[in-house]
Amino acid sequence: MPPADPLHGRERQESRLARWLVLPAVGTIVLVALFPLSWTVWESLHLHDLRMPWLGRPFVGADNYIEALGNPRFWSALGHTVFFATVTVGLELMLGLGFALAMNRAFRGRGPVRAAILIPWAIPTVVAGLLWRFMFDGQGGIVNAVLVGIGVLDQARVWFIHPQSAWVPVILADVWKTTPFVALLILAGLQNIDASLYEAARIDGASAWRQFRHVTLPLLKPAILVALIFRTLDAFRVFDLIYALTGGGPGTSTEPIALYTFNTLFQTLRFGYGSALSVIVFAVTFALALAYIRLLGADLTGARR
Amino acid sequence: MALIAAVLLWAGCGGEPANGPIEITFPVSALGAESQVVRRQLARFMGEHPGIRVLQRETPDAADQRHQLFVQWLNAGADDPDILSLDVIWTPEFAAAGWILPLDRFGPDTAEFFPTTISANRWRDSLYALPWFVDVGMLYWRTDLMRVAPRTFEELRRAAGRARRDQGIRHGLVWQGARYEGLVATFVEYLGGYGGRILDDGRVVVASKAGLGALTEMRDEIYASGTVPSAVLTWHEEETRLAFQNGEAAFMRNWPYAYGLMQDSAGSRVAGKYAVTAMPAAPQGAPTATLGGTQLAINRNSEHPEAAWSVIEYLTRPEQMLERAEVVGQFPTRLALYQGPELGEALSIPTADVRRVVESAVPRPVTPVYSQLSEILQIHLHRALTRQRTPAAALREAQAEMQQLLNRSGLGATGSRAAR
Repeated sequence: MPPADPLHGRERQESRLARWLVLPAVGTIVLVALFPLSWTVWESLHLHDLRMPWLGRPFVGADNYIEALGNPRFWSALGHTVFFATVTVGLELMLGLGFALAMNRAFRGRGPVRAAILIPWAIPTVVAGLLWRFMFDGQGGIVNAVLVGIGVLDQARVWFIHPQSAWVPVILADVWKTTPFVALLILAGLQNIDASLYEAARIDGASAWRQFRHVTLPLLKPAILVALIFRTLDAFRVFDLIYALTGGGPGTSTEPIALYTFNTLFQTLRFGYGSALSVIVFAVTFALALAYIRLLGADLTGARR
Repeated sequence: MALIAAVLLWAGCGGEPANGPIEITFPVSALGAESQVVRRQLARFMGEHPGIRVLQRETPDAADQRHQLFVQWLNAGADDPDILSLDVIWTPEFAAAGWILPLDRFGPDTAEFFPTTISANRWRDSLYALPWFVDVGMLYWRTDLMRVAPRTFEELRRAAGRARRDQGIRHGLVWQGARYEGLVATFVEYLGGYGGRILDDGRVVVASKAGLGALTEMRDEIYASGTVPSAVLTWHEEETRLAFQNGEAAFMRNWPYAYGLMQDSAGSRVAGKYAVTAMPAAPQGAPTATLGGTQLAINRNSEHPEAAWSVIEYLTRPEQMLERAEVVGQFPTRLALYQGPELGEALSIPTADVRRVVESAVPRPVTPVYSQLSEILQIHLHRALTRQRTPAAALREAQAEMQQLLNRSGLGATGSRAAR
């Protein structure tokens, strides 16, 4: 048996060194995440309105939060966000799975197809938003031209002035833009599945559907969950796409919570109330992330092996 | 080039020159004919005042961005720029915040200016900014489609209907209807046309019979008579100008800038075929033009307010205003200029027409919280015009929210209560 002491000492030394080594990382997190966050929380407890400097900057406790929770615009913005997140993430998962399965097949030109499918993902969101805005433009937009041309519409439709139809370009644009990301994540998962499992299933006489249902899907779960987490959190914070596409209109009927917060902070310059909104958005996204990790933690670590 | 040199100079001379000329910083737009006029005028000024050097600071052209930048600078107590160019709706806000100096002590010749442009720049009985040029909302009409301009909304609807039916013009009237400040500017003109107003001494009174009449008129023009295409609910100034310029509309509500742009026959199908007049009105109201334009004010923390004033005084002289009118087509704020022949030569619009519109100008509510009031109003107007709410419900909700905001600001009840 080797003497325990020296090893122990070296371990202690190493752990001390390790502590020093993680210090910069911890320091950076404190500086770029914790500090701004606590500042925002502090700000949210004050009345701070850049446009009404004569009111000063008094401490108001939870007033800003109470105002937010009693404000119908806040609740409808939250509702829009949940609606947007549910619809887009659902569509993106289904389409992404389909694309991934297709790309996983061996066919000629697979490389170029895999590269091509990533193009929408590579386009900056604001540019994509403007692109879709022009396509859905009421006067010269290509969508109206095509739909009128094939007889679906009898006259050009002004998409952005109807509270329901204004969502159509928003959702299409997001699905178009982010499905490739989901597809790629799922494709990575598909390629980790051992081909011998399918062989075994075939020998047992399993149909293609049963193979998909009982081999592919269970083994894809970790990849799907990762995609789900990323996409839900992203969709929940959606801002730039809608900012460029509808600006939240007509009225405020496509305004997500992040855009409402932005308008409060940077148009109305109500820093106190806007900070309260930011804190609420942070709390909700953080809770979502925690819930995912809690619920799916086992699968996530499973994915790593 | 000159600008780059000026910026470099400004950057290089951060310190206090002991005996050198006094430096005054002035925000300018970076682009276009307007910035060239300003540069030329400032160069002349410096020729006459060797003791003062005016350094130009580039600021964004977009009103929202410029406003945000100014608010950040002034909130931080910056002493530069010394001079601020303000949209007319910002003056009370900056005055109440204590960010700009009252100008009365310099003895401005306010009697020489259009009274509305002066009253829009007053806050608590002091003048805080001097009107540099005036913008007004006008009715553009096609002289080849009709002989006289309509004077009432009803006449306009009928003339628009004839133009669409008989002459195959696509749209009757186009105005700015997207959810932004331009929508409020349009609404103020309809509201005035029905004899109403938004604010009455600190009380919001927009949900009145006149308000309902005005908003219903706007909505019916879209959905009942088809005078106005529903697409305007996504349109800003430029979309309306393009439609009118392409000969697609019989009427357009727009600011003066469009007049000169559409005269260039290379890109315009209506060159020489349009004129301007005041917006129509209902029998119970009067023709109303929303007052816009730019004002000059002095930063309260400026180290050289006297020198800053001498720049403002120079830039607002009649001859500089005439030069701006000629080069950029902007309307002067001095009354006397509308009597002489020079303005007629400088502007492409007949002086009498301009004068009629400018005299019908009405400021938007003169209150430090105007921008916030406007944001509320924009949302509710847009909801009514996109048929998410009835006009009555939209105005009621807007009024409640606006009043709540005024109360929170400490400016409610009586308009003169705010602390300073």
